[in-house]
Amino acid sequence: MPMSLTIFERICLGLLLLVPALSAPVQAQSCEALRAAQGQDLISVHCGGAPSAAFDADGHLWVAFVLDKHVYVSRSDDRGVSFSAPVQVNAEPEDAEFNGENRPKIVVAADGAVLLSWTTKTSNQFTGEIRFSRSVDGGRSFAMPRTVNDDGLHTGHRFDSMFLTPSGKLYLTWIDKRDMEATLARNEAYPGAAIYYTVSEDLGASFMPNVRVSHNSCECCRIAMAPHGQDNVAILWRQIFDEHIRDHAIAVLSPQGVVSELSRATVDDWHIDACPHHGPTMVPAAQDGQYHMSWFSAGNLHSGIHYARYDLATDTSANLIKVDGMPGAGHPSLAVHGDTLYLVWKGFDGTASLLQMMHSVDDGRSWSAPRTLMTTLQGSDHPLLITSPSGVFLSWSSEEHGYVFKELSND
Amino acid sequence: MTRNPLRQWLAGVALCVAVLPGALADNIQDFGPQTFAQLKSQFAGKPFVVSLWSIDCAPCRVELDMLGKLKQDDASFPLVVISTDSIENREEAVDILQGHGLDGVATWMFADTFVERLRFSIDPMWYGELPRSYFFAPDHSFTAHSGILTAEKLAELFPY
Repeated sequence: MPMSLTIFERICLGLLLLVPALSAPVQAQSCEALRAAQGQDLISVHCGGAPSAAFDADGHLWVAFVLDKHVYVSRSDDRGVSFSAPVQVNAEPEDAEFNGENRPKIVVAADGAVLLSWTTKTSNQFTGEIRFSRSVDGGRSFAMPRTVNDDGLHTGHRFDSMFLTPSGKLYLTWIDKRDMEATLARNEAYPGAAIYYTVSEDLGASFMPNVRVSHNSCECCRIAMAPHGQDNVAILWRQIFDEHIRDHAIAVLSPQGVVSELSRATVDDWHIDACPHHGPTMVPAAQDGQYHMSWFSAGNLHSGIHYARYDLATDTSANLIKVDGMPGAGHPSLAVHGDTLYLVWKGFDGTASLLQMMHSVDDGRSWSAPRTLMTTLQGSDHPLLITSPSGVFLSWSSEEHGYVFKELSND
Repeated sequence: MTRNPLRQWLAGVALCVAVLPGALADNIQDFGPQTFAQLKSQFAGKPFVVSLWSIDCAPCRVELDMLGKLKQDDASFPLVVISTDSIENREEAVDILQGHGLDGVATWMFADTFVERLRFSIDPMWYGELPRSYFFAPDHSFTAHSGILTAEKLAELFPY
């Protein structure tokens, strides 16, 4: 009977398709392989530039990435094994930056609002705008992006970072050149750029006027953000000290626009008039007001990736160690879950890029030996660590492996 | 052999047709994993200077300006300028090089997405900061400099 044969064929075909899915865990795939199979215009998280990720309150994973002048968002309900069809955020194409230090940022609020920020480049003279958009319908559609810097100047506003406090204050901070322009117009020198920020009390429906955190920051390094109490944040950035030394500063910002006096968080003595393109990472330590920091320097005192725990109350750091002094090593990311502190970074051994990890179970006083999580012989992004109530996950994009999202364990 | 003006003219036209499209495009070449070794062999026994820059690096523009003036004063100065941006961004790079009088000079751009390997091929001890410059002696022993290269610093580090 032809009819039953067709059903039989369908069952067989179904079984054939099922077998590999049952026998092997689904692996992330390279964009090249996916496009060879599904078409060269495929829009996928595996093809996206500089992705970043966040969990929502229900444990769904959200990933933002850039492709062909659009920011996209894709959701995974199985922790990165499979992803929903990407949703376009900006309908009009814009030059959204996607590189190690400039990537779209994504946060999902407790009520499910999907919040995004990114930098759009407006010329090749280091100008840009800080852009924001959000979805209040579960990621199905996004509001028309708005520019968050409020000076109306065609100057540098770039390297945005975004943080949502436990109490629902949404902070955006970035590197800003408005003061540099004004100072140069008076024929006075202005080393570096400035750090500015703004806060939204209504998850991005409105923002308070921009507030300056500091003059004379470095021009091209990502800013690290961490909670400080329920409403405030601490930020860590590369700052220019004494006109030529590019070490790190830390300050606490409030939703009312009050900025603490900045403290010098690292003393590496890096005398350089250059762009390191190498920003720090920071997460809260066990004791309130203390922070785990990891950063890169090629200074006279510290050269390579370092770790230390900074205490805002005493303005001192403790347990400073050199994590990796190899020149190819860089771009650390920290995360804490329970009593375990994780540090991931990228190294290069002369042939391959290595993702390295070490962990500490005593608040950064001692560390495990480093171990290699993954390697690649092709191009790759900086590694990022993403925290959920259940654990810490690696978020990493590479040509060879596509987008990889996987849980870390400290065994 | 008698010279045939028509044949000479035709040969000239043919040469122009072959060479012009490349010459009109720009002077930027692919920088791949083997390029630095090839450049060194081209400069065998000779001193040369390497300047690394990127579109996104503000201090690099100060250095490019100095190098542009240097090449205008001395077109034969042995200079290798390499952008660490992807060669996909060549139009932007050309625009910037033009602004500093360097568009007429042969320069290179990273043409391999495995940038770690390209950086390593230039100098395993380089952390990636820009601008970065190198001063090769005739025996190809070298010194490196991070940060803006001024004319004074160049004279100090490259006495050739």
